[in-house]
Amino acid sequence: MSKYHGIIFAYKDAPELGDLVRERTVASLPFCGRYRLIDFALSSMKNAGITDVGVVMARDYQSLLDHIGSGKDWDMSRRSGGLRMLPPFGLPHAHTGNYGGTVEALNAVADYIRDIPQDHIVLMLGNLIANIDLAAAIAQHESGDAEITAICAEGPTVGLNHQYLLGEDGYVSGIHLDRGDAVKGLKSLEGYIIEKSALLRLMDEAASRNHYAFHRQAIIGFLGDGGKMDVYKHEGYVCAVRNVEQYYNASMDMLCSDKRHQIFPADRPVRTKTHEEVSTYFSEQAVCKNSLVADNCIIDGEIENCIVFSGCRIGANTKLKNCIVMRGVTVGENAELSYIVADKYASFSDRTVLTGSAKLPTVVPKNTNI
Amino acid sequence: MKKSCIAMLLAGGQGSRLYALTQHVAKPSVPFGGKYRIIDFPLSNCANSGIDTVGVLTQYRPLQLNSYIGTGQPWDLDVSDGGVYILPPYLGAGEKGSWFSGTANAIYQNMAFIESYNPENVLILSGDHIYKMDYADMLREHLAHDAACTISVLQVSLEEATRFGIMNLGDDGYINEFEEKPKHPKSTLASMGVYMFNWPKLRSYLIADENNPNSSKDFGKNIIPAMLAAGEKLWPYHFQGYWRDVGTITSLWDANMDMLSTTLINLYDPDWPISSRSPVCPPTYTGENARVIHSIVTEGCEIDGHVENSVLSPSVTVERGAKVVYSVVMPGAVIKAGATVEYAIIGENCVIEAGARVGTAPDGTEGWGVATCGPNVTVAPGQVIPAAAMIYSGEEA
Repeated sequence: MSKYHGIIFAYKDAPELGDLVRERTVASLPFCGRYRLIDFALSSMKNAGITDVGVVMARDYQSLLDHIGSGKDWDMSRRSGGLRMLPPFGLPHAHTGNYGGTVEALNAVADYIRDIPQDHIVLMLGNLIANIDLAAAIAQHESGDAEITAICAEGPTVGLNHQYLLGEDGYVSGIHLDRGDAVKGLKSLEGYIIEKSALLRLMDEAASRNHYAFHRQAIIGFLGDGGKMDVYKHEGYVCAVRNVEQYYNASMDMLCSDKRHQIFPADRPVRTKTHEEVSTYFSEQAVCKNSLVADNCIIDGEIENCIVFSGCRIGANTKLKNCIVMRGVTVGENAELSYIVADKYASFSDRTVLTGSAKLPTVVPKNTNI
Repeated sequence: MKKSCIAMLLAGGQGSRLYALTQHVAKPSVPFGGKYRIIDFPLSNCANSGIDTVGVLTQYRPLQLNSYIGTGQPWDLDVSDGGVYILPPYLGAGEKGSWFSGTANAIYQNMAFIESYNPENVLILSGDHIYKMDYADMLREHLAHDAACTISVLQVSLEEATRFGIMNLGDDGYINEFEEKPKHPKSTLASMGVYMFNWPKLRSYLIADENNPNSSKDFGKNIIPAMLAAGEKLWPYHFQGYWRDVGTITSLWDANMDMLSTTLINLYDPDWPISSRSPVCPPTYTGENARVIHSIVTEGCEIDGHVENSVLSPSVTVERGAKVVYSVVMPGAVIKAGATVEYAIIGENCVIEAGARVGTAPDGTEGWGVATCGPNVTVAPGQVIPAAAMIYSGEEA
């Protein structure tokens, strides 16, 4: 059994993602042809040998439950321990809406956290696109004497706004909240390696002061009390998407070989739910340039700068440019789509012409027939 | 609990005619059709037919097959009152024990396994056939005709009939004659090597055959003729659809090419999925210079070259300026810049270095054939591997 227990926060809202999160949480947003965002956190943990993991959810988690199942795709379906999905319980108002902050979310599952058999806990965001080498972060944490190690990256980074300032001793000396891209210190990836005792102390103090925010309140309090926090610097691609443009850009980033290999390195595979699949067939007249295509597709048309998820059908003489088409999307013949984000099982009839823009890609909601 | 039917899958064959490809692995675990390995077809057919207990008989290079099958989870065969079992030959206390000396002997040696499930019927399958078939339908016919054995048959051409076991039927539709590879076939109904037996009957014939020193312990040569001679009811199950034996380089290549046509066999049918143990790979990336035409490509590939009429397994790399035409490329192979692969089978993790050539298009000369690189072969820069050549790496895997 790993000495570490994982907690993944999958409760966060991102209303600016609009229709893409109407029926799902950000953590279960489909990404890069076959993944969901939470796959990155789950895989980082699995790759570091952590298979006892709690996933904190608040609402709209049906698609998340469907994706994760028993956790067997991440080897987290264990006889003892393993994966636990943690819906709201324990707080009287937990059922009415979303959590006000990470500490409130943690306190809502306080009983679970108290019962964790391990002494060390890893906290991670469920909606972060990054392949973090947690084993290296843990090794660094264990080699020092900090109670908390914050996982950080050098900015600027999309969607992550808290920054840590380092003192001369290399430990964290302060935090800047919501500082956008004016980079002064290291961007927090909101991932932490923390002693269980320290986490319970922070939760308890926060609860007694009716605090709910992790960075704004708990971390500032911890640092104010002279708490020792180290930082682990993650190298490689990082993104936390909060709106459609960011989602679109992060998806298109995966067409860049460098960035894609940072996210999918051979030695730290990203695991995801496996489907019944078959290989993809490219027909005689298919054209496919600078694109990512998952399995179980039949490509009869032309594709350029696209992300095509599994199970898609692209008809003859159809042109897809700069599009993201999710699982099971069907595009008929002689259609032209550009800058479209088509959610699962959307279908486009023959001769459909639809154009979004790079700045504002058009989202076609799940199951829409055009 | 008594089972209506369990399956025994013969996966022990050495596959000597595929030599370079089966030097280190058993034939059923040879990659096929991009996403699959050959054994995925019978295993998926079992799962889709509701047969949840499968014994896999192995004896040749079983390591990769064992790890591939694992708990059987990809085929939903990880169930508590059945499942998929690897059955190697074994030595019993004080008994002689031996390698399997024939297909019937392999089943004979595993009678204890079959008895532990106490089935009414036993389905005998081969691990080297590509087809989709509903064994439940075969079982229904088997029971409806009160047969001791039901043999799945298909129509072949008169010319092909000489390579198969041929069934001749009586007026009542039952099989009254079986000829193994006849010189002058009386019919064109060929056995597919798929047998459904009434278990108590098969059991007694297996024991009798085992005690016959002149028997070659083979279903087609011994058990079926013995049953016919004794007047048992043998019913033909008429199979219609795609079926191929992939025992030779040519037939393996041909069958892979067949997968490019959805009219021969539809692998995209959600009602009859062929499952496989999939590696975790990101989607295939096709670059600015990529051209992929009439081909099957599986996740994890990186393509910036020209791929035409070919079947690519997971994680194949085709660099810019490289050409892969009428070829089968197995997992992890790398075709480097400017290399050409034509009418070839490229084994797992091969590296075809820059400017090398493997295989040539048919030129009408006698002796032309598909070129084959066994697993882990590196073809040096500029090296030429001629048509019909078969090269393999010398190391033990």
